[in-house]
Amino acid sequence: MEIEEAPRQHYSDKEKGEIFNNEFLPHITSMYNFGYRLTLDRDDAKDLVQDTYLKAFRFIESFQKGTNAKAWLFRILKNSFINDYRKKSKEPSKVDYQEVESYYNSDEVDRQITPDLRVESLKDMMGDEISNALNSLDVDFKTVIILCDLEGFKYEEMAKILDIPIGTVRSRLHRARNLLKEKLSAYAKSMGYNKV
Amino acid sequence: MNKPSNPFAKGSTKPTCMEMLQTILDGEATEEQKAFFKMHMDVCMPCFKTYDLDMAIKQLIQSKCCGGEAPPDLVEKIKAQVAQKTH
Repeated sequence: MEIEEAPRQHYSDKEKGEIFNNEFLPHITSMYNFGYRLTLDRDDAKDLVQDTYLKAFRFIESFQKGTNAKAWLFRILKNSFINDYRKKSKEPSKVDYQEVESYYNSDEVDRQITPDLRVESLKDMMGDEISNALNSLDVDFKTVIILCDLEGFKYEEMAKILDIPIGTVRSRLHRARNLLKEKLSAYAKSMGYNKV
Repeated sequence: MNKPSNPFAKGSTKPTCMEMLQTILDGEATEEQKAFFKMHMDVCMPCFKTYDLDMAIKQLIQSKCCGGEAPPDLVEKIKAQVAQKTH
């Protein structure tokens, strides 16, 4: 399953329709949920998914039939979100990603954090806490968790979707998991779950 | 008796516990690596505890954050828009 830049394909209208219906549309639920996690708004998620599918159709001849449609669609959605949605919404005070990455690349976070978070505490949490913790992560960290844990993408696919090297995927996932644990730990403490 | 060679090792570099754990968590481990890590956890309490917690979080994400079905009208809207482009 590859999402390499394939040489331009030539499809008849019938073939285009078949690819669109049989290879693209079956991923609509995953696409919608990814869009919702990024925008945190159901209407925006719908718009983002619609834009993505229209772009996918417009550039369908860049897609090689039978290859990794899901990764290709996720890549378009992620780029649409960054290029169009973020601009439109004039997202205020976007976190300086380089700053975040260099901080989280420091030795500071390489220790095994939050040893006080216990599995038992997690079991007491309702869905909202984990969902809110995930949503509250910076978009780059949230994205790798979604791609890996919810969508089951491999490092190589994530690297292509996100346009980053595999090593960065790996380190970003590591930081993202630690950040999520910190948030869950803070929540568990605030609810008194960790009292012995 | 020789200890089995570590299937996580790359060249002569010995992988850390954290590196092995991450390969497992991220779904990148081979069957051989999974079996090795399972045996490793028998003798490494920190790995055992961290694995337990990290897997619990991963499973919680999978069960609570998977979202729902896409809105029923979304596919129809997309199809209509694509049809407009082709005619």
